[in-house]
Amino acid sequence: MIRMLRENRTVVLALPVLVFFTFFFIVPIFTLLALAFNPKELGSIAIKPVLTLENFKLFFSYPVYRQSLINSLWLTSAATAICLLIGYPVAYMIARTASKRVQAFLVILVFSSMQIDLTVRIFGYLTILGDNGLINGSLIRAGVISRPLPLMYNSFGVIVGLVNLSLPFLILPLIGIIESISPDLLNVARLLGCNRWKGFMKVELPLSVPGIITGVLFAFAISMSSYLIPVLLGGWGRAVLPVYVYQQISNQGLWQRGAAFAIVLLLTNLMVVFALIRYYSRVYTKRMLAV
Amino acid sequence: MLTSALQLVDLTKRYGKLTVVSQVNVTIKSGEFFSLVGPSGSGKTTILRMIAGLATPASGSILLDGKEITGLPPEQRGLGLVFQNYAIFPHLSVYDNVAFGLKLRHLSESHVQTKVHDLLDRVGLLGYEKKYPHQLSGGEQQRVALARAVAPNPKVLLLDEPLSALDKKLREEMKFWLRSFQEDLTTTTIYVTHDQSEALSLSDHVLVLNAGRVEQIGTPQEIYESPASMFVADFMGLTNRFEGTVTAIDDNQAQVRLTVGFEVTATIRNRTFEVGQPVNVFVKPEAISVMESAATTTSTVNSFEGSILQSSYEGALLRHKALVGNEQIDIYAINTSENRFSEGSKVRICWEPAGMVVIGVNNNERLEE
Repeated sequence: MIRMLRENRTVVLALPVLVFFTFFFIVPIFTLLALAFNPKELGSIAIKPVLTLENFKLFFSYPVYRQSLINSLWLTSAATAICLLIGYPVAYMIARTASKRVQAFLVILVFSSMQIDLTVRIFGYLTILGDNGLINGSLIRAGVISRPLPLMYNSFGVIVGLVNLSLPFLILPLIGIIESISPDLLNVARLLGCNRWKGFMKVELPLSVPGIITGVLFAFAISMSSYLIPVLLGGWGRAVLPVYVYQQISNQGLWQRGAAFAIVLLLTNLMVVFALIRYYSRVYTKRMLAV
Repeated sequence: MLTSALQLVDLTKRYGKLTVVSQVNVTIKSGEFFSLVGPSGSGKTTILRMIAGLATPASGSILLDGKEITGLPPEQRGLGLVFQNYAIFPHLSVYDNVAFGLKLRHLSESHVQTKVHDLLDRVGLLGYEKKYPHQLSGGEQQRVALARAVAPNPKVLLLDEPLSALDKKLREEMKFWLRSFQEDLTTTTIYVTHDQSEALSLSDHVLVLNAGRVEQIGTPQEIYESPASMFVADFMGLTNRFEGTVTAIDDNQAQVRLTVGFEVTATIRNRTFEVGQPVNVFVKPEAISVMESAATTTSTVNSFEGSILQSSYEGALLRHKALVGNEQIDIYAINTSENRFSEGSKVRICWEPAGMVVIGVNNNERLEE
């Protein structure tokens, strides 16, 4: 017995994770998948041997559901793009900070934004973005505007929230990748005639693409599946797909429909992930970055 | 091809309170192969980085063909640089690496192609155009880096320990190749190394650095034959050091009485000594001849009886340790039958006065003022 254990040490070591992963990830996903193809039944979560596509048909036949998928896609894409625009310079600055102490402090600062509970952060946003919030209140008092700007319960509010949620996940992998690009490469480019900006564009930016892809993948997946932010900062006018998944299950008690909606969300997310990975491997596997 | 002269005037660099380069003055002639040599931390790479524009001097100036370039950004200096780790762009093919600087100069595509082809031919990498850096060996990467650096016809080529990452055999090959490559180009070249033999064998002139200060500037022969200080002598690998006092001076020869009791005669070069002055003398191991003690010798000076204490066989070379009185003397001899001695055999050792180096005891203090 002990000999057998010793010979299969890797398997033994991986066993707890495998068990955990199977019970809390694989099983739920397959339950979800099976449930999505069952006819709707109020309050039931038992899997029955009846297959139907009616839940998916329903999803695609109602404009409000289709619109929620489109909302999800564009709000997530916009938030991810803004994350990249804000996050890349931040990651670059942190990665190129000469002092290791300052650098560690900045990384902790990025992490710290993830430490505060999401609900608390969102309520923070309410006090800033609301009609009587910090921004509108100050602008009105200063006489710049007479009526509050619509900063919340619209796409703007959701995007602000999603950027806040996913920004650290984009910044952290980028820091590592940018740091691994030798500063000598930029130095060589400069001696060959590039100014600072051109050197960045020709050397550092292309070499940081793996980090960009990883960061974008994280940010996209996290934003896409966010429920709280669209609900609290967007309102029903900007309902995204996760909101309807929740609604079907919690309000309507129709687990089968909720499961089908969730599958649509999952597949959309996976499609984007695969598209990005495909792009990445097409550009980079041939070259096998060996910095 | 156009080449340029470079001049460093009172060049100084500090990191906080630490002065890493202190008032370096040197003129490097056009077309020269010039080496900066010194132990690690002596400031040689810092000097190179200041010339390249990658580090800012605390004071002093850098002149290229008489024009001040101290404040110019690196891209406006027109210099070429090869780093120790080559810094090949990993996302670009060999062709694109070499063409990098040429494309920035808005040259026609056909001109770029011809130039890259010519350079790859020179460095022996024709047919490697489409390969990526990770597919290349260290030596190949180094030649790509060199081709890339010289492609835009730099005024001065800067090489930062380009051979140190190669294995010994390749390093020896590349050393000779590099010298002939530079002679073909006739580009002024500044070479940084910690390896004194590389510096001696490659350079027209050598600058020896110690803790950010210039110890000596001269031709390889001057540096090796008449080191200006104990530091240089030690760095150039001189052994067989003895302390003594000058007892007589005759033309270009000095009689020195060593503290261990012997009297030796040494050639003095470009330096004045006084009778009674305390000095250090070195006997170059390769200048010493060994013969059987019965052999007759015409030499009247620097001839001593001793015995072989130890002898190690190193292929082309024999290293003997001889015992004269109570002193051990290192001897390098070519491996021929008459140079082979068994341990314990009685021998006569002798050397020409020119095989010695004399340095005043206080020379280091003078240099550090």
